[in-house]
Amino acid sequence: MKLKIATIVGLAVAFSGVAVAQTDVIAQRKAILKQVGEATKPIAAMMKGEAPFDQAVVQKSLGLIADDAKKLPALFPADSKTGGDTAALPKIWEDKAKFEDLFAKLAAAATAAQGTIKDQASLKANMGSVFGACKSCHDDFRAKKS
Amino acid sequence: MKEASVVAWDGPTRVFKWALVFVVVDGWISNKYGGGFPAWHKLNGYTALVLIVFRILWGFVGGSTARFGSFVAMPGKVMAYLADKKKFLGHNPLGGWMVVALLALVLAMATTGLFSGDEDRLIIDGPLAKTVSDATVESAALWHRRIFTAIELFVLVHIAANVIYALTSREPLIRAMITGRKPAEDYADMPAAEPGPWGRALACLAVAAFIVLAPIYIVGGRLL
Ligand code: HEC
Repeated sequence: MKLKIATIVGLAVAFSGVAVAQTDVIAQRKAILKQVGEATKPIAAMMKGEAPFDQAVVQKSLGLIADDAKKLPALFPADSKTGGDTAALPKIWEDKAKFEDLFAKLAAAATAAQGTIKDQASLKANMGSVFGACKSCHDDFRAKKS
Repeated sequence: MKEASVVAWDGPTRVFKWALVFVVVDGWISNKYGGGFPAWHKLNGYTALVLIVFRILWGFVGGSTARFGSFVAMPGKVMAYLADKKKFLGHNPLGGWMVVALLALVLAMATTGLFSGDEDRLIIDGPLAKTVSDATVESAALWHRRIFTAIELFVLVHIAANVIYALTSREPLIRAMITGRKPAEDYADMPAAEPGPWGRALACLAVAAFIVLAPIYIVGGRLL
């Protein structure tokens, strides 16, 4: 009996440990993606003509997006499919290669844009590949809110 | 064409029809592959709206087979058509309702698009999205997706019906929508269509563009 209780307690501790790890990594990737969103916001405003072009902000944001895109693939381990209010779709783990390739594409696009953007016109001409990368991944791998 | 033929569809109606096909396909392409170029998808949406408003106007002042009065039939007439399967020069009573449905769906699709936005309100948003609440934007986006599914379904039925009809009844329906002519026959609705003049069509198009773009520009502040 004592042994049984000890086993149950032991298992419970082990499982909650796993659960904490999962929600941790989910919270972590969500925080990074939120940061990616925040970095994109001022650029989106410049694209729409709602904010004046600001080269320093553009460069800093794109650098952040490229760095985050490199960190993100590691934050979708196989045990983080559910929990923590994640919007990640199961398809991510069914097609991991494509999913990670999209992050690589985003990083490459952001770095390339960083090198070419120097004014409003080149911003408009070169952000397409970055925004396109966000959208094509969200279309396939992120659950819609509604 | 060797046999005697008559006008079935005037030029403006045919140009509209194929332009609408283009706009629906381009709407899909610009969403799927133009994620980084929101202006593409938005321009497509405005074009769709202008086309539909044009078609509504043309349904009152256009060629005789394009007028709603000539093809929007009461249920009784639809039942009669199903029973006797008479040949019609214009849309038959059942097909007429498919036209109405497709026009309504594309209108609803483009209208919800005006109020839609992406999840994070970052990359693309309709010109009127910022005039409504976030909850409204989200439900507009939801319906924008649902209506597209409905369009896919209706288009499939529409194409299937036309292909089956063209094969089984030997009426060149699809060719007629390209050439505008059909073999002279004893049609149930009218023997030949009276085409609407191009000048009037252009006037309708200009009015449609104004009706669509002016309010959006005034309320939304910008188009792209
Ligand atoms: C390779 C796939 C991929 C790419 C590329 C991508 N995202 Fe995401 N994004 C996701 C996934 C998956 C989620 C949901 C994560 C979760 O809830 O666990 C997400 C969530 C988000 C969120 C919500 C974060 C939160 O608060 O929960 C924002 C904002 C976001 N992405 C912005 C962007 C932007 C902006 C870009 C482009 C610069 C981008 N993403 C590129 C996959 C991607």
